[in-house]
Amino acid sequence: MSVEAQELDLLANDNRGKHQLEAGFDLLGWDEVTQGSVLASFEGDASDISLKKSEERAYSNFNSYTATVASWRVIKPVYNRDICIDCQNCWVWCPDTSIISRDKQMLGIDYDHCKGCGVCVEVCPTNPKSLLMFGEHTDLGESLADWPEKKKKEKK
Amino acid sequence: MAVKFDLNEREVWDGNYAASQALRQADVDVVVAYPITPSTPIVENYGSYVANGYIDGEFVMVESEHAAMSGCIGASASGGRVSTATSSQGFALMAEVLYQASGMRLPIVLNVVNRALASPLNVRGDHADMYLGRDSGWLQAGAFNAQEAYDLALCAFKIAEDPAVRLPMMIHQDGFITSHTAQNVYPLTDEAAINFVGKIQPIDDMLDFSRPVTYGAQTEEDWHFEHKAKQHKAIMDSKPVIDAVFAEFKELTGREYNRVESYDMEDADVVIMGLGTTVETARVAAKNMREKGIKAGVVAMRCFRPFPYEEVREALKNCKAIAVTDRSSPGGAMGAFFNEVTAAMYTSNNRPMMTNFIYGLGGRDFSIAEAERIYSEQVDNIEAGHITTNIQQFSGLRGPKLGFFKTERS
Amino acid sequence: MTEIRWHSRAGQGAVSGAKGLGDVVATTGKEVQAFALYGSAKRGAALRAYNRISDEQIFNHAKFMNPDFVLVIDPALAFTDNIEVNEKESTQYIITTHLSKEELIEGIPALKGKEDRIFTVDCVQISLDTIGRSIPNAPMLGAFVKISGMFELDYFLENMARVLAKFPQKIIDGNMKAITRAYNEVK
Repeated sequence: MSVEAQELDLLANDNRGKHQLEAGFDLLGWDEVTQGSVLASFEGDASDISLKKSEERAYSNFNSYTATVASWRVIKPVYNRDICIDCQNCWVWCPDTSIISRDKQMLGIDYDHCKGCGVCVEVCPTNPKSLLMFGEHTDLGESLADWPEKKKKEKK
Repeated sequence: MAVKFDLNEREVWDGNYAASQALRQADVDVVVAYPITPSTPIVENYGSYVANGYIDGEFVMVESEHAAMSGCIGASASGGRVSTATSSQGFALMAEVLYQASGMRLPIVLNVVNRALASPLNVRGDHADMYLGRDSGWLQAGAFNAQEAYDLALCAFKIAEDPAVRLPMMIHQDGFITSHTAQNVYPLTDEAAINFVGKIQPIDDMLDFSRPVTYGAQTEEDWHFEHKAKQHKAIMDSKPVIDAVFAEFKELTGREYNRVESYDMEDADVVIMGLGTTVETARVAAKNMREKGIKAGVVAMRCFRPFPYEEVREALKNCKAIAVTDRSSPGGAMGAFFNEVTAAMYTSNNRPMMTNFIYGLGGRDFSIAEAERIYSEQVDNIEAGHITTNIQQFSGLRGPKLGFFKTERS
Repeated sequence: MTEIRWHSRAGQGAVSGAKGLGDVVATTGKEVQAFALYGSAKRGAALRAYNRISDEQIFNHAKFMNPDFVLVIDPALAFTDNIEVNEKESTQYIITTHLSKEELIEGIPALKGKEDRIFTVDCVQISLDTIGRSIPNAPMLGAFVKISGMFELDYFLENMARVLAKFPQKIIDGNMKAITRAYNEVK
């Protein structure tokens, strides 16, 4: 996969991560908050929601989909398609559902919701790893160019 | 289709049986319960109505009262009509979850058969559990006899589920004194009862797949206060709905309920204020005092939450001495009921003399003679022009006279 | 207002007796109250049950009463419980015993001088003969119907059969016999 495809809006609609988690809402008065602090996940009729892909869903402002925590991150995982074996380990382990995978094919990272914890790198089984942590401001192309070689088993 | 239950126009039921019949007639969908004396027969009877086909519902037996109220929350959030019953220690174990139910604005009806809280262990009636629930965000109404335990349970569903209210409601009855005392009860027909209560109108129900919702969101200092304020306002604003439901019930049955009940209050100088069965016993004493020339009256709380400040002040506006009775160990303060009535009366024009009687703990009998003695003491205070005793006294207690806090007014 | 106090042991049926009596009384259009004061809720422990009967709604919820009738359905409790507590000058006693009235009063000093207000009937023996178990509540109801004059026997039997409708016919028949026998034997 090209560097260009690994963009922030990978399989996302315009609402994904549109506001900072702490600053997504006007601080409403007591007369405006929802009854019982019950929060609807979607805008409008969601009867067929399970048939829709995330980028097709009308997530509500209360849904974490529309919030971003990207600014919490100081290091970020970078994905290398050339090495990945699509084992889905990272998808299973990611605590913030920030691994984007379709039809059991790994596509990349949801950088709106990834907090940079590094679990995906830890659980990646390939050699070298298909996911590695880089500084938040490191250029994607440079990261891929710096990717390490396969480690050889040391003979004892 | 449920099997028809044969009812007579006049039944002899105890308070527990009466409440369980109200659950059957209100077509309660789910009862999640854990048994405890003296409330057990309410949920036990509902279970037998389900088992014998008298009602299409679910009875879920769980491992504790905490789980019982948790299950009620799940069922109510799913859109069902939900009820359960408890007492005393069970109520205490349920306490944490009571706040969840009210915060989520779920219209669960809880039948509380009042019983003392241990220790020492005691299964009999006092109001310790009722007081424990007074800040929990539930509406609270009290029955003075078995008929009222039935009537108020029916009204409770209609009040709690009203879209303008949407709050859980407790119906209280005195353990044993009401729950295990059989009296004449005049039930509605099944048809009249369900027509009165109506169908529940689900709001934000989790089984509405067209609109998935999150219950139990976390709100920190930036949101929590607004949500609690909105909830408090809803409790305060429930008063007209309660009044309207009581009015409709009177239309149907001729039986009248008010958030504050007044008896012999047209010209009363001395008043006993009470909760539960005490109210009716005091009414007999008031009649006796009037035969002796004392203008005695009774003011009773039908609704403990929302607390009817305006109505209390109105009911007591012409009287001179008021004895507020608390059937709960006050734990280092004046009785909670006394404090609230006194707060209501502080801004009145008449500023009557207010005294507090702690009585009847653990089911200690409250007799007509004791009520008459309390009236006589109020008369003494009026004649002296000030409170001659401690403001708080223990009544019906063995040992030396026990009382606390003296007045500065004379 | 008519007030009745039952002295019984848990398991002898005073609570059911009080509630059954209340049920029948209510059919006459009167207001009733039936409740019990259990001590230790174990079979055999002494307990007291209470009835109030009135033409008007009953507001008094106190346990305290000056009874018009004291019904003792356990023979030993007549001797060990204070059956005369809070009595009035007109209180009538119906006591289950195998003794004659004279022998009974001889053994219970508190009853002396009240001969004309004391009635005896052997509810235990009657229930053993008619129901097959020592359930002395039903016979006591029969004796009460006679002494109080509150109902015609036939009216009471008919309504009591309705109260007992959930039981097998054999039990109902036994109760009817027990009530009738005690009605005839109380003296």
